[in-house]
Amino acid sequence: MAGPCLVSVATGRIGKIAARRDTNLPPVGVRMDGMDTRDKRVPEQGAGPRGNGDPNLDWLLAHVARGDHGAFEQVYDRLAGPVYGLIRKVVRDPAQSEEVAQEVLLEVWRNASRFDPAKGGATTWVMMIAHRRAIDRVRSATAEAQRDQKSAIAEAAASLDEVAEAVEANLDRERVRRCLNSLTDLQRESITLAYYGGYTYRQVAGLLNMALGTIKTRIRDGLIRMRDCLGVGA
Amino acid sequence: MKVLRRDPHSLSGAYALDALEDSEREHFEQHLQRCQDCQQEVRGLRDTATQLALAVARMPPPQLRGLVLEAAARTGQNPPVSEHRAGAQPRHARAQRRARAPRLARVPRLLGVAATAAAVAVAVVLGFTEAATQHRLDRAQAQEQAIVAVLNAPDARIVVNRVSGGGTATVVFSRASHKMIFTTAGLPPLAASKVYELWVLAPHAARRAGLLPAPSEGRTAPLLAAGLGRGDSAAVTVEPAGGTSQPTRKPIVAIPLTG
Repeated sequence: MAGPCLVSVATGRIGKIAARRDTNLPPVGVRMDGMDTRDKRVPEQGAGPRGNGDPNLDWLLAHVARGDHGAFEQVYDRLAGPVYGLIRKVVRDPAQSEEVAQEVLLEVWRNASRFDPAKGGATTWVMMIAHRRAIDRVRSATAEAQRDQKSAIAEAAASLDEVAEAVEANLDRERVRRCLNSLTDLQRESITLAYYGGYTYRQVAGLLNMALGTIKTRIRDGLIRMRDCLGVGA
Repeated sequence: MKVLRRDPHSLSGAYALDALEDSEREHFEQHLQRCQDCQQEVRGLRDTATQLALAVARMPPPQLRGLVLEAAARTGQNPPVSEHRAGAQPRHARAQRRARAPRLARVPRLLGVAATAAAVAVAVVLGFTEAATQHRLDRAQAQEQAIVAVLNAPDARIVVNRVSGGGTATVVFSRASHKMIFTTAGLPPLAASKVYELWVLAPHAARRAGLLPAPSEGRTAPLLAAGLGRGDSAAVTVEPAGGTSQPTRKPIVAIPLTG
């Protein structure tokens, strides 16, 4: 890695800074509410696990809450990929997924003032909205009628393969895949059917022909194991 | 439908995955309000679900951006809600709606000629174009002011470094105020599932300092980081969308903040 180079370009820029000191600038030490990326009002423990607690995103959402379109544009650029990807996974149909993604991102705009960093990270807040909207779509009556149980299980299995395919490109996906594979088959199937498939745990129990209590427990135990495997949270 | 009343705690996993039916969810949420342990657990499990979500990130259709931003421009915003629940519940929040000032509403809007001049100065120093500047101005007056404060510090120093993989990173830092601003130019674009993340590296620790914003004309808007200590460096890594709490890759650039 190259060392720092305080080259002449840089010194030229310092010259410009010095020149600007004489202009009509505000005093040094202006209030910086919401500025510091380690601001006390954005508690690290609230930020939680890796990937879910971007204080800068928290800060951006606070600006979105004040009607700041520029901040919203930045939020879009950071989260549209994850939002669309999750919805596409659950809803599957591209046109419907796009519709739902639009609704979700607009909801982030409309409800940004309701995001509370003390209760969790911004990414988790947005992904929760995305997941709920996606399952609202697939759980609607007509969608239910079109859902075929066998294909649902096949697709849940396929989604695991897709996660696996992305491995080379992304260490984080690799970790998710590895952690999913560390679960028992039943834990893994229950979780992927519920989360990526958008099924309730009752429906999962029906699909897998298992007792309700068993699925309930497998989902929780499996998620706890995933959490610990991913190093999420405390 | 029969609701499992005996052991609501065991529903935390299904709740975190939105896999409860309405009546069960309402029942569990009542329980959640009284159960601190459950709140903690639900939070961890939800963050785990977020990792499942990030693992399937994919590039949205290109037209979505325009559609969403246009829709936002035409759409009003909802007032904040006072809630005592773990996580926001936009779908069930109506009953609890209560007017309350937004959390950051009291931040003084630092408007006016002085602020504009200051922000333009930042732009000149960092080489932004006029149009990009005006745009940024409108949306982050306060940030620009804070950045100008760093630029204006008597001990402000600039370091420009090449980034491995292409582009340059520029740091302006003031040891006296323990702050730095960081910007880049010409970094290669990333896939939707990845971000550039900025770190303040101490000898034995890394602190996250935010994700680099999407570039405008090849340049990223400045990020500000405070609380710098002796021996810190500014570094950037490529991380999964949403960022990480600790760097998982080798930095593509690291700039010691010394001298």
